[in-house]
Amino acid sequence: MKNNPQRLILLVLSWLLVMGCAGVVAQIPESIRPMVDIAQKTGAKALEASQELSDSEEYYLGRGVAARILSQYPLSQDQVLNTYVNQVGQTVAQKSTRPTPYRGYHFAVLESSTPNSFACPGGFILVTKGMIKACENEDQLAAVLAHEVAHVAHRDGLSAISQARWTEVATTAGTEAAKHYGGALGQLLSRFEGSINDVFKTVIVNGYSRAAEEEADRAGVEILKRAGYNPAAMTAILTAMSSKGGSGGILGTHPDIRDRQDNIKIIAQEDNTGMEPARTKRFRALKP
Amino acid sequence: MESAKKLGKLPARCLVLGLALIWAFPTLGLAQTFRMVQSQQQLYAGPNFGAEIVGTVPGEVEVMVLQQSGDWYQVDYQGKKGWLPQQAFPVGKKLDLSTLLKGRAVPTTRTDEVALAGKGFTPEVEAGYRQKNPQLNYAAVDTIEQFKLPPVALQAFIREGGLQP
Repeated sequence: MKNNPQRLILLVLSWLLVMGCAGVVAQIPESIRPMVDIAQKTGAKALEASQELSDSEEYYLGRGVAARILSQYPLSQDQVLNTYVNQVGQTVAQKSTRPTPYRGYHFAVLESSTPNSFACPGGFILVTKGMIKACENEDQLAAVLAHEVAHVAHRDGLSAISQARWTEVATTAGTEAAKHYGGALGQLLSRFEGSINDVFKTVIVNGYSRAAEEEADRAGVEILKRAGYNPAAMTAILTAMSSKGGSGGILGTHPDIRDRQDNIKIIAQEDNTGMEPARTKRFRALKP
Repeated sequence: MESAKKLGKLPARCLVLGLALIWAFPTLGLAQTFRMVQSQQQLYAGPNFGAEIVGTVPGEVEVMVLQQSGDWYQVDYQGKKGWLPQQAFPVGKKLDLSTLLKGRAVPTTRTDEVALAGKGFTPEVEAGYRQKNPQLNYAAVDTIEQFKLPPVALQAFIREGGLQP
């Protein structure tokens, strides 16, 4: 009985100690992130490089990639079509494994007759009029957008950033950006620019890896199922696009379309619900 | 005598049990006040965009965060309970609801700039990039971000298409 008050105090102290330690441990990741404001104020020359970007950093990176794409492909001024693509896009996006990136998903139509679609980090998804035209119905358009949403959800764009970007901080002092802006901001700017270039090159030219494309196909099919679209639309649009000889976006540059169809053959079976007449009607009314 | 000893150990056992429960379920029965900066956020009945909208939270008000489910947070605003997506909060990362128990200050962030302080790629870095590359079409990116889809309209679109809410 005499020991009870001491035991209570001991327990409370132990608890406080554990919780205090937990608080310290929880703060460590924040403390090693690049600290541009502090670095500027203190004149620190070295920044802690982190391979892991936060959601907000990914968002600003994605804006840069989208701005580069939109410099080559004009944005469609067809508000009705843009709204429709957003409606289909948001429908599939909310069924993805990452429904809420930092500022949400944004879908837009590009004025180009070449079938193409692009997923930029952070949730910017661009699709050409040519791609919409290549789709036979809303479900196929949903398949294209679901595939791109999956790339965003998997953060595939960030994987495109050269590993060297995270180790070159010390060597960027002599670059044009670093000379122009100086100090920590110049170093960050150089890394920002290099990262945008890396992602842009992958999205537009090289395409994602075989594994990333196949995973995006599988995830896209699952999204279609959850959203209520026909999962077989993924196979159908891949077939349609391969016969048109397009490249980039959902088509990628590799792997071979036939391999990708085999990859999703089992999970992308035709469902029995058939095509909702309302979906067919609204797609036909807006198809370019 | 034996029973008296057992009774004496009861408070300590209750304390240990209580602490264990709190450690295992840090949000149990506790709530955290959080200041909203984003305005006109829809409150959903459940933790998904397909759920019924039960209200709206204006900007610059405080909400009570009750619990978390994935990227969604259940909040209480003026007695009305509902769910907000993670993006509704100014900080671009998950709220740490266990901080209240750890005795640290409740995190409140007033602007994006403050929220982004300490991050590598910030609006300031973007501004520098844009100045260096004026040919880039950031205006179109800004336009795309203005495309808004009211939740009610999206729900109607989903319903009309025979899709899953």
